[in-house]
Amino acid sequence: MAKRDQSNNDMLKGTLDMMVLRTLILGDAHGHTIAKAIERGSDDLLEVEEGSLYPALHRLEERGWVSSYWGVSDANRKARFYRLTPAGKKQLRSEVGRWRQMAKAIGLVMGDVLKEGGEL
Amino acid sequence: MSWRGLLRRRYWDKERVEEMEAHLAHEIGENVGRGMSEEEARRRAYVKFGSPQKMRERIWQMNSLGWLESVLRDVRHAGRALRRNPGYAVLAVATLGLGIGANTAIFSVINGVLLRPLPYADQDRIVHVDQVENRTGAEGIGLSVQEYFDYRGQASSFEQMSEYHSMMFTLLGTKNPERVVTGVVSGNFFDMLGVQPALGRLFVAADEAKDAPPVLVLTYAYWMKEFGGDRNIVGRVFHMNDRSHTVVGVLPPLPDYPDANEVYMPVSSCPFRMDPKMIADRDMRMVAGFARLKPGVTLEQAHTELNAIRGRMAAAYPKSYAGWTGYAATVTPVKAELTHAARPTFLALLAASGLVLLLACANLANLALSRQVRRSREVAIRLATGASAWRIVRQLTTEAVMVALAGACAGLAIAGVSTKLLVAYAARMTPLAQGIRLDGWVVLFGIGSSVVAGVLFAALPGLLASRTRLTALNEAGERAAGSEGGTRVRSVLVAAQVAFSFVLLVAAGLMLRSLSNLLSVDPGFKLSHVLSMQLNLNWTKYKGEDALRNFYHQLLSRTQAMPGVQEASISWKAPLDPSGPMSGHVLVDGQVASVSTPGMVVNYEISSPDYFRLLGIPVMAGRTFTDSDTLKSQAVAVVNESVARHFWPRQSPIGHRLRAVNGDQWFTVVGVVGNVHEYGLDRAPDELVYVPLEQSMITNGTLMVRTRGNPLSMSSQIEAIVHQIDPEQPVTQVRTLDQMRSEQLGTPRVTATLLGLFAAVALFITIVGISGTLALSVARRSKEIGIRMALGATKARILRDVLHQGMRPVFAGMALGVAGALLATRGMAQMIFGLKPNDPPTFAEIGLVFLVAALVSCLGAARRATNVDPIVTLRTE
Repeated sequence: MAKRDQSNNDMLKGTLDMMVLRTLILGDAHGHTIAKAIERGSDDLLEVEEGSLYPALHRLEERGWVSSYWGVSDANRKARFYRLTPAGKKQLRSEVGRWRQMAKAIGLVMGDVLKEGGEL
Repeated sequence: MSWRGLLRRRYWDKERVEEMEAHLAHEIGENVGRGMSEEEARRRAYVKFGSPQKMRERIWQMNSLGWLESVLRDVRHAGRALRRNPGYAVLAVATLGLGIGANTAIFSVINGVLLRPLPYADQDRIVHVDQVENRTGAEGIGLSVQEYFDYRGQASSFEQMSEYHSMMFTLLGTKNPERVVTGVVSGNFFDMLGVQPALGRLFVAADEAKDAPPVLVLTYAYWMKEFGGDRNIVGRVFHMNDRSHTVVGVLPPLPDYPDANEVYMPVSSCPFRMDPKMIADRDMRMVAGFARLKPGVTLEQAHTELNAIRGRMAAAYPKSYAGWTGYAATVTPVKAELTHAARPTFLALLAASGLVLLLACANLANLALSRQVRRSREVAIRLATGASAWRIVRQLTTEAVMVALAGACAGLAIAGVSTKLLVAYAARMTPLAQGIRLDGWVVLFGIGSSVVAGVLFAALPGLLASRTRLTALNEAGERAAGSEGGTRVRSVLVAAQVAFSFVLLVAAGLMLRSLSNLLSVDPGFKLSHVLSMQLNLNWTKYKGEDALRNFYHQLLSRTQAMPGVQEASISWKAPLDPSGPMSGHVLVDGQVASVSTPGMVVNYEISSPDYFRLLGIPVMAGRTFTDSDTLKSQAVAVVNESVARHFWPRQSPIGHRLRAVNGDQWFTVVGVVGNVHEYGLDRAPDELVYVPLEQSMITNGTLMVRTRGNPLSMSSQIEAIVHQIDPEQPVTQVRTLDQMRSEQLGTPRVTATLLGLFAAVALFITIVGISGTLALSVARRSKEIGIRMALGATKARILRDVLHQGMRPVFAGMALGVAGALLATRGMAQMIFGLKPNDPPTFAEIGLVFLVAALVSCLGAARRATNVDPIVTLRTE
């Protein structure tokens, strides 16, 4: 998230957590790959600031949603890999559910305006 | 935030740094792959990544406990502040430690004896049933078996009632034949108390049946001492009174109440209690009654009911309940009986230690005030630079709590050492003393009171003093902070200290004076060089009086023949024996007991002829016993002067006769001897009637021997003589009369020492308070003094002013102290001997001591005041 808005911080933090967990569903990955995956996945709309990524990873590990180990990356370099734990999978499911609800709610309120090409 | 994170944050920091470096390496590698130069690739990577340091900090913080950090910061700050001012820290911790130590030690006694419930179920409902004679003042008469049956059968106030008595029997079957203190109880005794066995079972009703197999229950202490806690003890067989007794169980640890019994047996096993004559005789009162009140029944109800039953007994058996005696039944809660001897002393000591703590608190407040005055500048600067008032409060409180905790540690150490000594002291007054120890409650009390005291008296005054705020930043402010308000508060504190310590000093003075009165009591007999030992002869072995007589004769003649022995005698008890007298009513020839002539309660002593010479009791008239007073000759008695004066005022008692109220044997008085304090130095001389051993044989005798040299060095030789005559005969309670005397004086001595110690601490703290306060005030006023001297005030004038200022709170405090002491020492009336609590000489002496001490403590500051050099002070202005 390129710009950090204090008032949205909590929501954004949650979103970053969710996206990190989502990325790890595809397989174990290290911080650099995760950041790249999120950036590419969002068509480079979102830029993950590493300053937030690593504290987020630390928080996820602290809560037991991911586990980590040292390994060797595709670039043949040492890297710390993260793996989704069953608890993390469960957390992702509930995060997604919450997000879906919120998106739906926002969608209902904003109506057609949100649709591509919708006019104000 | 978690404890796990907190403990591993260094590890995580290292891990994350490595991880970030790996990330950067990837980024750089990618950038190089895109064709950038090595340097550009590195620069871009770092720019994109941001500050690794900041990230480390965020992760570090995630692993921290916010409140703990800030508390630790406060603690570190407080530690620094205290280290900068070690004098304050040491004085505060020492003062608090002394106060808390004294209090915690005394509280451990109160907790162990008065507060902790007895190990009985529903202790408040368990009572001791006894009888008294209101008109003659005889107490603790006990019950006869018939009376016990009547009360038990008729009383509806009790859920259960049990009987109890204690005897010495010989136990055979251990390594050596042993005399054991045996509690003899009805089958429901332990059930009534609500005690569960530690091992095996306790008695049941069936054990009480006449033909039931004899059984024994061991006390916990005896089981541990004699059998090392052997769990196979149940089922073992011992021989007592020529019968086999099987051990069926072991009691849990219990207080030594009603007596320090070692084993228990059911009443059916006690040959004395089962003697048909004993059971039938309403006047032989050998048992005690214990009962459990029904729920909801009050003591008064039980008391009323028992006395109604006693009224019916008196109507049915008028011979046993002469109207003139004022017979009555009493019901006393067991808890009260266990603690009544100790309660006033312990409460007085608690009050004294409480006063010491108050004094310590006053001193703490005083110290905190002067410290805060000195620090007001620091606090003002901190407030001015944006510290919140809350921060200052928190920091002062942290400091106070640290001082308090250190004080609590010192106090608990003091208490730990003294508690061990206090157990022996308290054991003289209550069987519950073994329960005195530093348990969780005591530690909680120590730390709790220390923290409360610390916060209230170290932090609060500091806070009040720091209200001066910004004014402290200029010169005038500094002077203002120390003068008016602060000084007045400190003077009040000093006056309070003086008042408290005056009360304590008076109490200690009274105890010391009482002790010296006790020490100077002339017992009426000579104590030195006398050894006494108890011989409880096995009654199954010495059945006839001839066997007893033979034993005693042999013992006396062999002992007297020993070199170094001057005299030897056999008597019922040695003087000052703590077990108390054998007493009864006597009437003189021609008198009939009635309300107007209720006889006289006297104490009996049974003695062999040499008893009087051995103890140096003077013969005032007639003769003492000789070898020719035997069973075949006339029954004789020797009375002491108070008995003679009571029955035969202004005439010689020689030749007159007296008898026990309920006996029919007449004794002819053949001699009068001097009064003695037979049963206690603090009692008035006892009324004593002596009868010769030959005419009333006893199985429980005391051998006394007067030696030329150190009596204790002869004890083993004398015991050897006993064993030559009867190898199975145990010898107990071997001690000198001097030892028995110091044992009697032990309780008042320790009480006086404790109070004296508290008073000394109090006086010390007070002197520190007086001199410290005055010194501070002189230091603050040195400019004023300098100016006054420059204007012509003489040194004498300055000295007088300073002394006046210093002594004013002392006088005020002493006036309060006198009033307080008059009130507070009233409760000491029964603790002191030979003087009244408002003893004027004690008050005068203590007052004098105090004045001198206060004057001396003012002198230092006064001298400094007169040495002020006006030139120096004026130059600095």
